[in-house]
Amino acid sequence: MQFQAFDAPYVERLRSGDFRTQEHFVAYFSELIQLKLRARLRSPQAIEDVRQETFVRVFAALRSPGGIRQPERLGAFVNSICNNVLLEHYRSSSRSDSLDDEPQNELPDPVMDVLGAVAAKQMEEKVREILDEMPERDRRILREVFLEERDKDDVCQDFAVDRDYLRVLLHRAKQSFKLLYLKNIERRPPGLTAAGKV
Amino acid sequence: MDHSDAVHLKATERYLLNELDPEQLDQFEEHLFDCPDCALDVRAAAMLVEQSKAILSERTSAAAVKVPVPAPRPWLAWLRPALAVPLMAVLLAVVVYQNLVVYPGMKNAENTAYLFPAASINVATRSAATPVVRSKSGEPFVLLVNLPTENRFSSYIADLYDPPGHIKWSVPISAETANDTVPIRIPGQLNAGIYTLAVRGIPQEGGSPLDIGRQPFELRLN
Repeated sequence: MQFQAFDAPYVERLRSGDFRTQEHFVAYFSELIQLKLRARLRSPQAIEDVRQETFVRVFAALRSPGGIRQPERLGAFVNSICNNVLLEHYRSSSRSDSLDDEPQNELPDPVMDVLGAVAAKQMEEKVREILDEMPERDRRILREVFLEERDKDDVCQDFAVDRDYLRVLLHRAKQSFKLLYLKNIERRPPGLTAAGKV
Repeated sequence: MDHSDAVHLKATERYLLNELDPEQLDQFEEHLFDCPDCALDVRAAAMLVEQSKAILSERTSAAAVKVPVPAPRPWLAWLRPALAVPLMAVLLAVVVYQNLVVYPGMKNAENTAYLFPAASINVATRSAATPVVRSKSGEPFVLLVNLPTENRFSSYIADLYDPPGHIKWSVPISAETANDTVPIRIPGQLNAGIYTLAVRGIPQEGGSPLDIGRQPFELRLN
């Protein structure tokens, strides 16, 4: 997924219902919203509800008189809408309380494509390579932190490392992986997401 | 928070490690949604973490303890008169001891109520504190497992992982049993440490088991 500048022309295309732009917008911010919500909501259904409601409100705001005043801050606007929806979700027990009565626009669904499946395979191979090149100790640290979700202080104590060691470990692995990740997302047309999408 | 602050703070790594305090978290997310570089960084790191979890998980499941197979010996190599007679005497002593001491003791124990050390395990929800089981070396204990049952699964499998991450055993759980708290008796052969109970669901329509959740617990031995 290529980055497109969030500027006035982009916002105007979004507002006027250009499907490609909508597809890109939803795909781009869906990933960020899901990452944001994953740490806060346990239920996949709740995450999906908040995600959907966020987009409904953003599109409603786009079409309202005045629209979005600072197109270059579209991202921050999406984030703040998401924060509001999340707060309402915490407060209410029923999703129907937070919906408005206007018919909802149908949001573009992410599309699987062959190129995405190939890219996902390549990225999986790259991660295997990164893990294989690590000392066994570092692999164990990653497993205990991310897979077993052990307390990080306990893991650091067990392996006689500090918290900065964890960050550096993750940073180095990410830097090794990022080039291939960037290459793969740039190869796909805007709006299409990979099979291995987070 | 601007981009250089985020880079200096290693905000991407801290974000994925849940190390940002609430204020930093809000500031970083506000920046993240507007900054294509940080968004790419976080997305790449998140994908790396997800792929790593899948790969490390399959490696753990595939790990097997190799038991060395002893070389075959001649069938009757051990049977020599100088060895056979004292051996017979020892066997006779064992039989007598079992019949006069051990079996009466076991029968007595069968009729006596016994409490097993236990801990509650809630799969698919994160406990704030790691459950602790306090047991004695060689003594079995019980895990009281609560599963979020779903109609899409016909049955479940509970896997126990030891501290290094090797799978010790797996036990099937029927859908009917899973509707209530499932008591799993763990043999008393484990060393102290942090173990993990993981539960997978078998889809109704077949296919590979799906991860439902996992919960670490600590075994402390007196």
